Amino acid sequence: MSGYVLRRLLQSVIVLIGVSILVFAIIHLVPGDPIRQALGTRGTEATYLAMRERAGLDDPLLIQYFNWIGSAVTGDLGVSFRSGRPVSELIMERVPATVSLAIAAIMVALLIAIPLGTISALKPRSPVDWFATVGSQAGLSIPDFWMGIMFILIFAGTLGWLPSGGYVGLTDDPLQWARHLIMPAITAGVASGSILTRFVRSSVLEALGQDHVRAARAKGMRARDVLTWHVLRNALVPLVTVGGVQLAYLLSGVVIVEIVFAWPGLGQMALQAVEGRDYSLLQGAVLLFAVIFLVVNLVVDLVYAKLDPRISYQKAAS
Amino acid sequence: MARTRRRGLRTMGALAFGTALVLASCGGDDEGVPIDDTPADNGEDADGAPAGGTLIAAISGEPDQFDPHATSAYASFQVLENVYDTLVVPDAEGEFQPSLASEWDTSEDGLTWTFTLRDDVTFHDGSEFSSDDVVYSFNRIIDDEMANAFRFASVDEISAPDPHTVVMELSEPAPNLLANVGGFKGMAIIPEGAADEHDLSTEAVGTGPFELGSPGAGGMTITAFDDYWGGTPTVEAVEFRYVGEATTALTSLRNGEIHWTDNIPPQDIDTLQGEAGIEVGISPSVDYWYVALNQEVEPWDQVEARQAVATGINRDQVVDVAQFGAATVNQTAIPADSFWFHDYAPFEHDPDEARSLLDAAGVDEGQSLAIMVVQDTEGVQAAQAMEANLSEIGIDVTIEQEPDSTWLDRQAEGEFDAFMWSWLGNLDPFDFYHAQHHSDGGFNAQGYSNDEVDSLLDQAAAELDQDARKALYDQAAEMIVGDASYIYLYNPDVVQAWAEGVGGYEIRPDRAINFENVTLPE
Repeated sequence: MSGYVLRRLLQSVIVLIGVSILVFAIIHLVPGDPIRQALGTRGTEATYLAMRERAGLDDPLLIQYFNWIGSAVTGDLGVSFRSGRPVSELIMERVPATVSLAIAAIMVALLIAIPLGTISALKPRSPVDWFATVGSQAGLSIPDFWMGIMFILIFAGTLGWLPSGGYVGLTDDPLQWARHLIMPAITAGVASGSILTRFVRSSVLEALGQDHVRAARAKGMRARDVLTWHVLRNALVPLVTVGGVQLAYLLSGVVIVEIVFAWPGLGQMALQAVEGRDYSLLQGAVLLFAVIFLVVNLVVDLVYAKLDPRISYQKAAS
Repeated sequence: MARTRRRGLRTMGALAFGTALVLASCGGDDEGVPIDDTPADNGEDADGAPAGGTLIAAISGEPDQFDPHATSAYASFQVLENVYDTLVVPDAEGEFQPSLASEWDTSEDGLTWTFTLRDDVTFHDGSEFSSDDVVYSFNRIIDDEMANAFRFASVDEISAPDPHTVVMELSEPAPNLLANVGGFKGMAIIPEGAADEHDLSTEAVGTGPFELGSPGAGGMTITAFDDYWGGTPTVEAVEFRYVGEATTALTSLRNGEIHWTDNIPPQDIDTLQGEAGIEVGISPSVDYWYVALNQEVEPWDQVEARQAVATGINRDQVVDVAQFGAATVNQTAIPADSFWFHDYAPFEHDPDEARSLLDAAGVDEGQSLAIMVVQDTEGVQAAQAMEANLSEIGIDVTIEQEPDSTWLDRQAEGEFDAFMWSWLGNLDPFDFYHAQHHSDGGFNAQGYSNDEVDSLLDQAAAELDQDARKALYDQAAEMIVGDASYIYLYNPDVVQAWAEGVGGYEIRPDRAINFENVTLPE
């Protein structure tokens, strides 16, 4: 097992190097730069050129890349052009809000997907199944900014139950943290929940048709126990994969939801970095997202082996 | 075994549902982003006294950084307006009033300006303000080639003969010097050596009514400075929240979660004005929107072709579409409320006239014109209205929406047929006209060159008599407008809204938001 993990980590390093080259190339090749952005329409061409030179943007791209990657390896992701603050500090500042939202949203997604997917698989073509199918289609189709705005108008505006937006730290005030979290978490969780519902339904259906389920029933095992021990346990395996990808996606920030709810997450930060051509900040953010996806994938694969004894990453004994 | 597990699930579900209900029903007096561990005050003191408390303001942008000499972001200046001071400060009419300088005078030849400084000013770090700080601040802008260095183009030397006097020696007269040193907080005074001792992008050492807190991802709080030379501010603190989505900001205002916002889409103004508990402030602004045709590109090098576009645009329609009427049509840059306004409007919307101008310039039907606008701005809607107008006269418009960094790049490189943009916060006609229309102007991307205009602008830049200066700018403006160097469209309104009962706040044409004397609702 440990040999497998080591191999995967080596592969991850190669992937990260590829990602770093790609993001560096793309953001430096698009028109516009942070200096233009900082100057706006004022400041003369001479000022612009002087600032560019000072920022090291006149060096050959290759040199710039090696300067950046050299520092990044030592954990120094550089300084953001826009704010003049260290990139790592800016990222860390937004991690709590992002993690809060991602975890809460994936909980919402699972609370929707597991019961709804299971029931609709057990009763195919029933009203519940129909509701689950239509509902998951709707959940995927409704734009999240519209859903978020509707929630704000109804629950914050008309009913006045919840705050319209903003974020409160968990350690500052747990109750306010939770109240601010409800609407963004549901908004971000519905789309993931819709995707996961379909997966649960199809994998439960598949598991129901397996021989060992028929055998368990033939043994006279109670339907509930069959479902718990023979169906759901097998159906969970594919759910872990898709759920993992959804979690990684949520951890990389959900831009639209963050903007609507004034939620200071990583997605909003990355978007501003793109718009402001804040090279170092965007590079740092994308590297972090790549790390998140690699780690989540590795964890998913390891969990797999735990859930399904047939899967093993050991080299077969010769 | 299975039964217990299921019961567990049920209990968990019930708990989750119950928790959600409890959370939803918890009091309506929401607290916002506590920054610096100071929970927001909802402004209702136990004794109902208007003084004290925290004003909560939702601004639509997010500051990039807090170094007044380095930033150009309006959102940063919304905060810094309350933290730093300049030598002089514009009042609501745009006239310059004393601030850190109590008085100033100019030599006969206009080449020597002497500022007398106040002697009762302390910085937020407790140090005393003196003329050395002014010299240091201005030299930092000049020597470090900061964005505003161009404002000191005519300044030869800045000296401090004594702690309360600053002398500026100029190479040529600069009647707009006050606007250059005090037009906005980008010319703020920082203590000598501050740039080496502090990280000014995140810390501020100002002389203004409020001290800067630590920057947060979702907002930032500034707190009243007790030793402020203008007297302690009325509120204890102002909490700025960064709310990009207008629905969120306006719902927060209706719910009483915030006291003030500038995040108001033009289409919502009417509705808001009719609502109880909300006051809407509308003021004409000193900003202008315009479209400029590239005079290096045929056929726009011909004045008739440009005039045809200026005649073909229905400005009233543009204002309705882009601003829902919250703007004033203007064919020159400077708004009607300003001393510098000149009533000149040569172009009447007339498609037939526009078409005959195009014929005179030899422009065929179906002439293409790509208008470059910044995405997600009202410029997009304005360009759509112009597209409809110009199709009537046989000009085939395509709208190129670019992110602002790309837009700025293409504008600087001259890679455009036409571009549309706005200029914000101008106070002096030099700001309105010089850099944009002088042959050597720093922002003359459209490539306008007219010797007569150059000479008028040069004379006006050095004319110390205000009336004579205005006459020169009036003449220049008529040529600039007549030649359609810029096709000016409108001056947008400044629109802000606040909770009823908020007092001591004044909405201003230059969009400076000053919370020094603001009081909370009782």
